[in-house]
Amino acid sequence: MGINFIARRLLLAIPTLLGVAIMVFVLGFLSPGDPALTALGMTSEGNTSFDAAQLEQTRHKLGLDQPGYARFAFWLGGALTGDLGRSYVQPYQVSDLIGRAMPVTLALITATMLVAIAIGIPLGIVSAVFQGRAADYLARIIAILGVSTPTFWLGLILLLLFAYTFPIFPINGSFESDGPKVLVLPVLAIATHPAALIARMMRASMLEVLGEDYIRTAFAKGLPAFRVVMRHALRNAISPVVTVVGLQFGNLIGAAVAIEYIFALPGLGTLMVQSIYAKDLLVIQGVALVISMVFIAANLVVDLLYTALDPRLGS
Amino acid sequence: MTYPATQPDAGRTGTAALAGQSRRYVGLRKFLDDPLNAISVGLVVLLLLLAILAPIISPYPPDELMPADQWQAPSLKHWMGTDEHGRDVLSRVLHGGRVSLFVGIVTVALAMAAGVAAGAVAGYRGGLVDEIIMRLMDILMSIPGVVLALAIVGMLGPSLGNLITALAVYRIAQFARVTRGSVLSVMARDYISACRAVGMGPVRTMLLHVLPNCIGPIIVLATVLLGNVILTEATLSFLGMGIQPPQASWGVMIAGGNEYLMFAPWISVAPGALLMVTMVAFNLLGDGLRDHFDPRSRSVL
Repeated sequence: MGINFIARRLLLAIPTLLGVAIMVFVLGFLSPGDPALTALGMTSEGNTSFDAAQLEQTRHKLGLDQPGYARFAFWLGGALTGDLGRSYVQPYQVSDLIGRAMPVTLALITATMLVAIAIGIPLGIVSAVFQGRAADYLARIIAILGVSTPTFWLGLILLLLFAYTFPIFPINGSFESDGPKVLVLPVLAIATHPAALIARMMRASMLEVLGEDYIRTAFAKGLPAFRVVMRHALRNAISPVVTVVGLQFGNLIGAAVAIEYIFALPGLGTLMVQSIYAKDLLVIQGVALVISMVFIAANLVVDLLYTALDPRLGS
Repeated sequence: MTYPATQPDAGRTGTAALAGQSRRYVGLRKFLDDPLNAISVGLVVLLLLLAILAPIISPYPPDELMPADQWQAPSLKHWMGTDEHGRDVLSRVLHGGRVSLFVGIVTVALAMAAGVAAGAVAGYRGGLVDEIIMRLMDILMSIPGVVLALAIVGMLGPSLGNLITALAVYRIAQFARVTRGSVLSVMARDYISACRAVGMGPVRTMLLHVLPNCIGPIIVLATVLLGNVILTEATLSFLGMGIQPPQASWGVMIAGGNEYLMFAPWISVAPGALLMVTMVAFNLLGDGLRDHFDPRSRSVL
């Protein structure tokens, strides 16, 4: 893997991002309703508490009287310098709103990923090592249930059990008042799915590696089983798992949307849902664009890591 | 140029068709021999039956308001209890399943039609066409599915048509990628060169010889995505961006029960449990089909 490979991947990301920007903008453009009305605090037409001149003035101020391509050029130009416009509803820059929400979502996702890895990898290894035995079946049942549990519903169940019935965790907590405790239930809810996927991939990959000659040799040399598995097999079995971990990133952002909403965490998901309710188009566009950027970057990192971990794929 | 349909050729086609049929039958038997596959097929059939028969087997109309029966806990009269308007949760869960499966099947069918066509053209033509199609698919896949669907429905409005479009768009790209990969591997086979050599046109080659040999991965993907689409629909409906109340859908019901979680948890728990059973069914079936079509991956799960 050389610098060329990285450069080529980075260059490929540019047209993709441009395409995403166009798609997101066109969606906003096609959106029914007049953003100027939203900006004036009106949700329905036929409201007469403003006059036509005022509406026209607002349109002009927001640049809505410009043709579509000009608005796109202006928006994209701003986006390139980190300026995603100003919220139609709140007195903030879109980038400020996103900047405030981003750390919450990133903290949630990072914690989730760590928990999912901590559960999934041991579960997968145990499952593979004890293939066909009780522990394997148990681990596989846990995995299939984990993959199939609706994240947002699990969030509600956890809330019911551990906030209402047994008030261990706060119901509508915040970082300021409750510290990292507020993250425990949301993280558990989102981590179930990736943990199960990681366990399944770890099991499959480990089974494959355990069948190889060099592992038999290691056993034949009389090395302790634990050491063979953890040092010799794991090293080669881990790279497909790394891919699964990385590719889960996008799913996690998606799952985080509903979970943030349920647990009232002020992250990107909550911001997006609130903006949709408020018809705050520029914020929706901005959040979608930023999430896409993070997603593309994550996939890029996965690819690079994958080739770095498994030099056989280097070319 | 066409090759003449001589007598021996016609005879061979007949035998081949017969052999194909029995092979398929044996394949199905072998597939159902695995108890997990039998369970998943049974579950899927059961869910489909419940959805189709919902109007007949529901004990109450899903929208009937019975204020006197408000907040009933599960009992013999109301197996899954009643909600804040005294509506029977079981009846609403059954009707909600109808909506969810309908949206899921229509979405996957549309995404499959568009995605397979795009992937087949990209794989068959190669070159610039391939490059353009796949870059477009990259764009569709560069926003996480739920976020993309949310953006589409959020900005265009939560009508049924917009909902299905929103759910389908991301999956088109998934179908296109899988189809293209399979098409490329099939195209390298000798029998495709043979088709070309006898002068068979691209459309005919594609429909009769390439796509039928790519069907395995496409079916596996469709199965897994069906569960996935139903889950995403429920998530969107839960957030108020999918099916709109008072129409029953699992997501709508879970959202409706959210407020009363503390003293009437059954309103949210029942539809969620059905949703989970649906997910288990389609995930198990997808795993089983994957093993069936690609025995090398048997160790997964």
